[in-house]
Amino acid sequence: MNRALRRISIAVLVMFVLLLINVNYLQGFQTASLASKPGNSRAFYAAQNQYQRGNIVTSDGVTIATSVLSSSPNDSIKYQRKYPHGPEYAAVTGAETIFSNTGIEESQNSLLSGNDSALDVRKIIDLITGKTTKGATVELTINSKAQAAAYDALKATGKPGAAVAIDPKTGAILALASYPSYDPNDLAIHDGTQLNKVDKQLLTDKAQPLLNRALQGTYPPGSTFKIVTSSALLTQSPNTTINTRLDSPTDLTLPQTAHVLHNDQGEVCGDGSGQAPLITAFAQSCDTTFGKIGMQIGANALNDMAQKFGMNDANLNIPLPVAKSNYVIPPSLALTAFSAIGQFSDTVTPLQEAMFAAAIANGGTLMKPYLVKQVMASDLSTVQSTGQSVLSQPVSASVAGSVGQMMRAAVQDSNGTAFAFNAQAEGGLVIAGKTGTAETGTVNLNDAAFTSFGPYGNPNIAVGVIIQGGGYGASAAAPIAVQVIKAYQSAVGNQ
Amino acid sequence: MTAPSPAVDPTGPLPPASRSRRRTELIMLVFAFALVAFALANVGFTLKGKLPAGAAVYLAVYLAIVLVAHLAVRRFAPWADPLLLPLAALLNGLSIVMMDRLSAQVNPATGHPAISSSQANLQIAFSAVGIGCFVAVLVLIREPRVLQRYTYTLGAAGILLVALPALLPASISEVYGAKIQIRFGSFTTIQPEEFAKLALAASFAGYLVAKRDVLALAGRRVLGIDLPRARDLGPILLAWAASLLLLIFESDIGTSAVFMGLFVAMLYIATSRTSWLLLGFLMFVIGAFAASRLVGHVAERFDIWLHPFTQANVQGNSFQLVQGLYGMASGGLLGKGLGGGQPYITPLVQSDLVFTAFGEEIGLAGVMAILLIYGLMVQRGLRTAMSVKDPFSKLLAGGLSFMLALQVFVIVGGVTRLIPLTGITTPLLSQGGSSLVGTWVLIGLLARISDAARRPPPRPIQDEGLTQVVTLK
Repeated sequence: MNRALRRISIAVLVMFVLLLINVNYLQGFQTASLASKPGNSRAFYAAQNQYQRGNIVTSDGVTIATSVLSSSPNDSIKYQRKYPHGPEYAAVTGAETIFSNTGIEESQNSLLSGNDSALDVRKIIDLITGKTTKGATVELTINSKAQAAAYDALKATGKPGAAVAIDPKTGAILALASYPSYDPNDLAIHDGTQLNKVDKQLLTDKAQPLLNRALQGTYPPGSTFKIVTSSALLTQSPNTTINTRLDSPTDLTLPQTAHVLHNDQGEVCGDGSGQAPLITAFAQSCDTTFGKIGMQIGANALNDMAQKFGMNDANLNIPLPVAKSNYVIPPSLALTAFSAIGQFSDTVTPLQEAMFAAAIANGGTLMKPYLVKQVMASDLSTVQSTGQSVLSQPVSASVAGSVGQMMRAAVQDSNGTAFAFNAQAEGGLVIAGKTGTAETGTVNLNDAAFTSFGPYGNPNIAVGVIIQGGGYGASAAAPIAVQVIKAYQSAVGNQ
Repeated sequence: MTAPSPAVDPTGPLPPASRSRRRTELIMLVFAFALVAFALANVGFTLKGKLPAGAAVYLAVYLAIVLVAHLAVRRFAPWADPLLLPLAALLNGLSIVMMDRLSAQVNPATGHPAISSSQANLQIAFSAVGIGCFVAVLVLIREPRVLQRYTYTLGAAGILLVALPALLPASISEVYGAKIQIRFGSFTTIQPEEFAKLALAASFAGYLVAKRDVLALAGRRVLGIDLPRARDLGPILLAWAASLLLLIFESDIGTSAVFMGLFVAMLYIATSRTSWLLLGFLMFVIGAFAASRLVGHVAERFDIWLHPFTQANVQGNSFQLVQGLYGMASGGLLGKGLGGGQPYITPLVQSDLVFTAFGEEIGLAGVMAILLIYGLMVQRGLRTAMSVKDPFSKLLAGGLSFMLALQVFVIVGGVTRLIPLTGITTPLLSQGGSSLVGTWVLIGLLARISDAARRPPPRPIQDEGLTQVVTLK
């Protein structure tokens, strides 16, 4: 029997040699190819959680995302992400979850997690000096006072909407809020089962709390689009001024249709003579006047001007992706009239609303909006900073001045659509703006839009607000913009 | 019963004084204990930055049961192989460390750890029970040959144990698609096949020893292969077919392969006929092929083995296999360090895929050491089989050693994608009491047989000149 046993021993030896060769092949030679196979998340998670994640702070030093040691004793992830202000900043920060990230957490992930190659030199220094390497801190352009005013005002309406504020001179985004929002703390938990539950709940919520309306929601601009129409007119015909009297019929029969365009609730435009100065038509938001202007200058001119203001651009990244604001060239003259007053297929993001006002406020030069001011390593040295850049020059300084004057009239003149809300701006603060009400079929459920800047004369903030189902733009959206502008003025010490 | 003892030529040189090597065993046990203590401390410092609170208790219990085993060997099997116990104790200790490590970290994707801390504590309790059974084997079975008396009893018990889960309703016997366990209440389960293997191995050894001459000599030669008479082979084929059918019915192809290999190897050891080996191998290949066509569970295993990285498989059926492979790959040559990897990502990392957890955390160097430890254990067993004189003990030791080797080959080969992955336990490393206790009984039997093999013949008494010494039983 020993001969058989010896052969069995050889068979056993072969089996063990096969196992040894196989583990050598697997762990010695296949590590790289297995690391890149589908579904291999080990390297990603190891890198993601290697260092203490950097903070996200506002430009005035408020921490809106931070990482602290996890309090759970058996946590396999050492640090727990915290969002001290929760829903208020959710549209900006997004959330860092165990599966994926959103918002700034996603766009600046490599820097926040400490794995960006830009941090390599500092990691070597940390190694030599014995300091613990941490992820980089991302400083945003957001002003906490403006952000708080925007979110609180949106929340007070109780209606879905968003507000965006831009510094017109630089393009720095001062506030970016969406409502209804969610608490990113609920998604930052280290429990996939619970996370899936929360995520499913948020995804199926009819209020769509996960939708970042400020950047991803597109709504009809309504009459705020008259800024584009006016700009196109003033650019195309240099002889036209804001005081030029234009046809402003109470009813405008559109060509090749039986459809009659009339002003809101059949109002008479101007003094009833059938003609009104451009500034009056703008301040009163006469649809017939601008419908006619649209047909006169044509869809292509409107399209060119809309594009220069930033519409039809699917690639804008601030560095969060921004949905495309659309101006579609209408197939008929009648529909061109509608498109000139922000109806037909026109849709804009709340950010685009702010960009309309920002371009006018900055003398016709539209600065590229940006959200990240700078990225700092843990030793507070700057790793990256965002430079200001010009996105486009939609109008000349003189046209911008004219449109600005008309926007001032819309708020400051007694016949302006937003005059009622001027009273809220005390202390000599002069705000210029344009209301917009996009008809959705039901008067009370119209989308309300407002684009504005202030202080007139030396503007430092441009605000765009859209409230879904907010009714008239003036009553629903304008007060929010006014509050944001006021909050920012007090924050920068203008009052 | 009188067993003849080899005659000693009084005129020749005295046989060299045999040494029991118990001190070697003790030193090796201390070494194993030190390794386990170091590993446990390593886990604690990596995960919590300090020694875990329960570490001292763990180590005290571990040290106590290991010392009890050593003292029992000294008392009841003083000539037993000195490496078997330390090697098994080291693997068992590493298992305790790994279970502790797995219970101390939550898998973020599920929100709970791979095993609860009470299950980790159970592992050390089962280690104590296992070593208790090891001691019981040494105490109760003083001579391995006594098992030969129970050839048919053990055979019937083995088949009953295998059949039990199949006969019970799925609600108390099914786990991950295989009907292999008996569940008591909501927590405790027993996998009877872990014990059935041992009973059947002993039963076959008894039967083959009694019949090996007729099996090898009587019979006809067909196509150059010597076939034994049906009445001699009948009981074996019956047991073989029954256990196989039951295993296929229970969808547990891994254990089925281990059984098959055990039978073929023992038949070959008993008869020394290569034709048996070929026939057995052929039958296994045909059986596996037929099963892959007929049993969906088995066909799926083959698909996972051949195409693990397709998008559908990665998200579904092969998730477990590829996550284990990814874990080992992330470990590389030296591993992430105990507590430094992410073994919790791999499903069933505490049982079937525990080898990949070691691969991830102690790297290629560590798993090669583990494989060499298994190899050494098998080698000590086969060496025992070769040196023991009693044919029954020889066959039993050979069969048990080969079964251990085969089990390691099937599961380690499975998780490293050398062969299709089938869910069986990794001896001494996996979580679970049945496997642990069963393997300790196996080690106990090998220790008992090695004691018989290494026990020196009684020294002749010089004064009595030509008096022949006989052992009376």
